[in-house]
Amino acid sequence: MPSSDVLGQVPGFSRQLSVLLLRRGSLLAFAGILAVFAVTAPHFLSAGNIANVFAQSAILGILAFGLTCVVIGGGSHVVSGGLDLSLAANLGVCAAVYSSLNNAGVNAPQAIGLTLMCGLAVGALNGFTVVVLRLPPLLATLASMNLIAGLELVLTQNSVLPTDSAVLDALVDGVWLHVPALAWVLLGTGLLLGLLIQHSPYGLRLYAVGEYPEAARAAGLNVKAYVFSSYLLAGLCAAVAAFCSAAYFSGSTTGSGDLLLSVVAITFLGVVFSRRLVANIPGTLLAALLLGFLINGFQLLNIASFWVNGVQGVLILLVVALSSALRQEEGGQ
Amino acid sequence: MTAETPPALHLQGVFKRFGPTRALDGVDLRVERGSIHGLVGENGAGKSTLIKVLAGIHRADSGTLAVDGQVFSALSPRQVEALGVHFIHQERLLPPSFTVGEALFFGHELRYGPFIRRRAQAREAARLLREYFDLEFPPGALVSELDSAQRQILQITRALLAKPKILVFDEPSVSLVKREVDQLLAIIRRLRDQGLSILYISHYLQEIECLCDRVTVLRNGRAVAVVDPRTTSTAHIARLMVNREVSDMYPKPVITPGEVVLELKGLGAGQAYRDMDLTLRRGEVLGLTGLVGSGAKPLLKSLFGLVQPDRGTLHFQGQVIRLTSPRAAVHHGIALVPEERRSHGVAPLLSVLENLTLAGLSRFSRYGLLSARAQAQESDRLIAELGIKTAGHDAAVQHLSGGNQQKVALGKWLSRDGVLYLLDEPTVGIDIGAKVEIYRLIARLAQQGAAVLVLSSDLPELIGITDRILVMHRGTLAGTFDARQVDSDRLLACATGARETVATPLTPAREPEHAFV
Repeated sequence: MPSSDVLGQVPGFSRQLSVLLLRRGSLLAFAGILAVFAVTAPHFLSAGNIANVFAQSAILGILAFGLTCVVIGGGSHVVSGGLDLSLAANLGVCAAVYSSLNNAGVNAPQAIGLTLMCGLAVGALNGFTVVVLRLPPLLATLASMNLIAGLELVLTQNSVLPTDSAVLDALVDGVWLHVPALAWVLLGTGLLLGLLIQHSPYGLRLYAVGEYPEAARAAGLNVKAYVFSSYLLAGLCAAVAAFCSAAYFSGSTTGSGDLLLSVVAITFLGVVFSRRLVANIPGTLLAALLLGFLINGFQLLNIASFWVNGVQGVLILLVVALSSALRQEEGGQ
Repeated sequence: MTAETPPALHLQGVFKRFGPTRALDGVDLRVERGSIHGLVGENGAGKSTLIKVLAGIHRADSGTLAVDGQVFSALSPRQVEALGVHFIHQERLLPPSFTVGEALFFGHELRYGPFIRRRAQAREAARLLREYFDLEFPPGALVSELDSAQRQILQITRALLAKPKILVFDEPSVSLVKREVDQLLAIIRRLRDQGLSILYISHYLQEIECLCDRVTVLRNGRAVAVVDPRTTSTAHIARLMVNREVSDMYPKPVITPGEVVLELKGLGAGQAYRDMDLTLRRGEVLGLTGLVGSGAKPLLKSLFGLVQPDRGTLHFQGQVIRLTSPRAAVHHGIALVPEERRSHGVAPLLSVLENLTLAGLSRFSRYGLLSARAQAQESDRLIAELGIKTAGHDAAVQHLSGGNQQKVALGKWLSRDGVLYLLDEPTVGIDIGAKVEIYRLIARLAQQGAAVLVLSSDLPELIGITDRILVMHRGTLAGTFDARQVDSDRLLACATGARETVATPLTPAREPEHAFV
């Protein structure tokens, strides 16, 4: 690669420095935002409010965990890399499926099992279109997003399906050690996926597959199976998030697709919390909480919530621009 | 070694045919145990096919492979690995965001139950690097923070984890600098002394000479000689590699060079190339060649504004200019016909007419609207003149053969009058008839008073169609030759850094970098 000869002279030192700045900078920004709200917003730092933010971040956070897995397995290139745009729609259809089953009187284990299967099935569909049909993930999941959003409409007739079950009650009202159950679900899912992705051979190989498929192939890994499995994980995350959503809103709701922008923002924001500038589970958790505190702070300060959308947009732009600039500097090494 | 010891690797009578071409025409290759065996040959001699047959990626049509005396007619990649044959490719297959430990062990991680033992991997990696190579990498370093040589060493260590018997190095020194190459060669010698058998493939005859115990020379799919590089000069090996006749396929009109069009003074760009001086006059065809990594390609790109030089000056028609973008280059009348003509040279989905007129649309437009008639006239003229075989000017370029696509790519620039033409590997992958027509075209460009710079690795072609030839080697100008007085052997020897002929070019080599080892 001749161009890398030229670019290769950019010293590693300056890159390390910029990574350090980016990482420390984002942590500092996080701390700064907390500090500003702590001073200006009433009751921001109260234990109740913090627990509340954790619980409110559960839906977005768990969806973002799913997207994180897909981005790791498909590579972090924003256009050609791994992406699952159908996550939010998947949540919608899973919530609708659970509500319908529950209202139809199906017993709890069956309803829960079938809902999880529904999430997995959507994940399998995405995996199939990406791995077997070789569509770019961006287009494949855009198509499946529309498909399952349509399915949800058929199922719900575009209305809210209110439902109530012991499981949902436990999720929304349950408190353990002064921490709400939804927060436990977020932390628990994060812990499980964190162990799987950051600390197991599966996770390491998934990174290899996403980052350098030829290297993974040379190491004897079944690249397609790993990519496929990342979409299954995403589908599972969507189903888990669907329970949180159904608990939070007491049933299925319309307009779950609006979550998508936040999910993408959280996942890409999570990248800056790692030394290697890669998508990762702890970073995604931090980013989800950051966004949660931001929304919460705006609410406490009575700032209109549409500002949050603007802030998210700016964050996506910043993070994507910064990390692709750094990646370019890395050149074709 | 006793006579009964079977060789580590023995290929006998391997044939491989792709369509009408015989890529391998009965190759024999014998690598003795505990020795370093070199494999050399020109581009297209069959080296990469041979390696792919050995790796189990291609299946030989006939012939046998023997590893340690066990004879096979075909192998799968998995079998090859199980037999202890491992490959080090020129690309380093390591994910850039991995730590040294992770990159070394991924796929065969050290684990504690279901979890990776990251610390143990890092410790083990450090121990292995110390044990095999006496090297220490910065603790906690990521692959992206290592230099090319360190990555190469990591790649070798990864291969060594599997306890191989035979290591195959496929052009491992490309994109390494001299010091790193020396380090690599020392490591390979050390591996041989530890008992491994090594097959070493390289363009660089210098490395072959100071490293290998035996060398097999491939030419046109045959092993034409097995020599001892300690008693055979590199120039002789180079001659064995080429041995081709320059036919009269090269039309070369006599042109008196005009004014100077392009002059470079001490141009350099990063580590890609440095200290480049050259002059190019109107009516002159200048050849440029060099191996991968020699800097010839970045130099060509600099002249079209694709790579920014950071030292020296570029004079164009008497003025010092800076080419900051291809747009600026086109504005000055510089045209590039790129090598990747499918992706860069032509728009495959557009018609022949559209492609031919794309570069000079302003000539065919009036009040901002295109004149279909003027376009059709000009493209029909070019189609006839260049002998482009097409159903008509409305045919899509993607349906044309490679040679005809290349003619369209050239014709595109003929439809506007360039001052300097840069041709990057103009005849790669096209048949001999189309080649000759392209040579005629080049000759005509020069006759019309344009200056032409041809980058090519086809040496007989360069000798046939150019006036002077510049040879680059590892980023510097290694020699300038008069095309009438040079042969492929000397060019190749110069490009590969063989000593014997470096002393005789018109311009002495700038740097005695290949001092005898």
